[in-house]
Amino acid sequence: MGYELNKQIAPQVKQGRKKMITQQGVMGYIFMLPSLVFYFIFLLIPLVFSLFLSFTEWGGFDFSLIKWVGFKNYKDFFFGGHGFLYPVLTNTLIFAFGSVLVSFFIALVISYMITRLRLEGFWRTLYFLPMVTNVVAVGNVWDFMYDPTNGLINSFLNTLGLPTVKFMDNPHIALYSVIIVAVWSGIGSAILILSAGLKNIPDSYYEAATIDGAGSFRLFWNVTVPLLKPSILFVLITGFIGGLQSFNLILVMTGDGGPGNSTNVLGLEMYNQAFKYGQWGMASAMAFILFVIVLIITLIQLRVFRSGGVENY
Amino acid sequence: MKRKFPWFSYLVVIIGGISMIVPFLDMVFTSFKNQKELNSLKFSLLPEHYHFDHFITAFQELNMGRLFTNSILATLGVTVLVLLTSTLAGYALTKIRFKGQQTLFKFILATMMFPAFLFLIPNFYITVHFPLVGGNDLFGEGGNGGLATSVLALILPFSVSGFGIFLMRQFVMTIPDAVIEAARIDGASEFRVFWQLVIPMTLPAMATLAIFTFIGQWNELIWGLLIFTVNNNLATLPVGIQMLQSALDPDLTKALVSAAITISVIPVMILFIILQKYYVKGMQMSGVKE
Repeated sequence: MGYELNKQIAPQVKQGRKKMITQQGVMGYIFMLPSLVFYFIFLLIPLVFSLFLSFTEWGGFDFSLIKWVGFKNYKDFFFGGHGFLYPVLTNTLIFAFGSVLVSFFIALVISYMITRLRLEGFWRTLYFLPMVTNVVAVGNVWDFMYDPTNGLINSFLNTLGLPTVKFMDNPHIALYSVIIVAVWSGIGSAILILSAGLKNIPDSYYEAATIDGAGSFRLFWNVTVPLLKPSILFVLITGFIGGLQSFNLILVMTGDGGPGNSTNVLGLEMYNQAFKYGQWGMASAMAFILFVIVLIITLIQLRVFRSGGVENY
Repeated sequence: MKRKFPWFSYLVVIIGGISMIVPFLDMVFTSFKNQKELNSLKFSLLPEHYHFDHFITAFQELNMGRLFTNSILATLGVTVLVLLTSTLAGYALTKIRFKGQQTLFKFILATMMFPAFLFLIPNFYITVHFPLVGGNDLFGEGGNGGLATSVLALILPFSVSGFGIFLMRQFVMTIPDAVIEAARIDGASEFRVFWQLVIPMTLPAMATLAIFTFIGQWNELIWGLLIFTVNNNLATLPVGIQMLQSALDPDLTKALVSAAITISVIPVMILFIILQKYYVKGMQMSGVKE
């Protein structure tokens, strides 16, 4: 009986639904409209514009003065002898690698320990505070602490009987001094991700390994690390990509990537080429070169995640 | 399982914790120090006497009131727009069927792969030469700054976020289709379904997105610096403090900058400590730091 009734009204329902879907279809575009307009103005147009600029020479003001130069900017970048490859690109890689590796190792140890302590939330908040602090504050405070005459760190070193270090003035040290600050300010997010990963490892695994006679080091190496692999990869790769792009800390702490070119990175050089020297063509070419580097690493990331069996990637 | 008291872990975590907090303490205490102490060759963390004049000078000399207003307007503007556009798109991408939906979603995911610096140069030009605003003609010429004549320059380029759309999509997806179908059959328009059904049900995700966007935008520097070069009245807090460094008497700078920094950092820290839960959720979903 019920079946018969359904059969009778089924075609009507079908028609009604079809009408609903087409009406809905228009609404779908209306709801998407704000986002689409934005993407058109601030993403698609800029992308094409920027790609075009990278093949030109232009000071950024008068369109009639724009000059098509083909691949000249790209050639200049690699073979022009402007120091873009060394030290700027090498600095970029050292900065990205250095800050992500150091903060990863410290974060791994700290989050492994934190999950075993009381007041876990308090510690996590403490380590996270620099993440919500603006980069101008972080950079300036560390500049003050690095001060050779009366900064906190050198006074501390002197009290221990160690000599004064010119953290930001010595070209051999400056980049590493900035890396320390990057580690300090970025470690919170690594701890967050890693400690969330650690919580997902069941206690029974540790208990089983302990019964089998594993010590705490083997426990860490043979149980924790393999099970934490997805979180570890996530922290390393996203951190590395972020590190390649970031230049605001260096801008705040050194102004121009000095002393000399010793802390200059690709992002900062791009910024200066455009807004300091008025070389918009070269700056755009640099943006695309950096983008390709980031893209390659992102693709490797996807590959690694998939083969590592990480979900949702 | 019985464990020994983890004294070694406490030791390491506390030493680490001290090095996390000391720079903040140094910042706060430096802003209370007077000239004599700042020039002294001997360092001490605590000031001899507490002087409050730097905070007052910071407010006067730096025009902190103006910086605060700009920062608040820009940050709130971006947060509201990101919430609105993300929720609208999140709803359309999951609960409305239309042609090209999947392609659009893939496009939005792809936009997240484009790093921000790629758009810095062209967007600066587009903002300054925006047609028909700030005295510009139809071709974006002739004006005195285009969008950069108003605080909109600090808002519009950030008003849509691929991450925001992604987050809201994931969340709206969990609302059962039956609930929305029922409202539609009762004759509710899509807008009513959106305002009266979807918005209230997505509030937790919106809170996460809001706090995450707010803190990120409050701390934004590079774009603010660029807009500042066109229009000095649009300096935000980080920009104002960054510019202060070079503008002032170097002897005075240290305490003044510290005072200004302290003022700029405190509100966000309070906000973070209160709304941590939501912020952390956003952090774990994005995992990427600027």
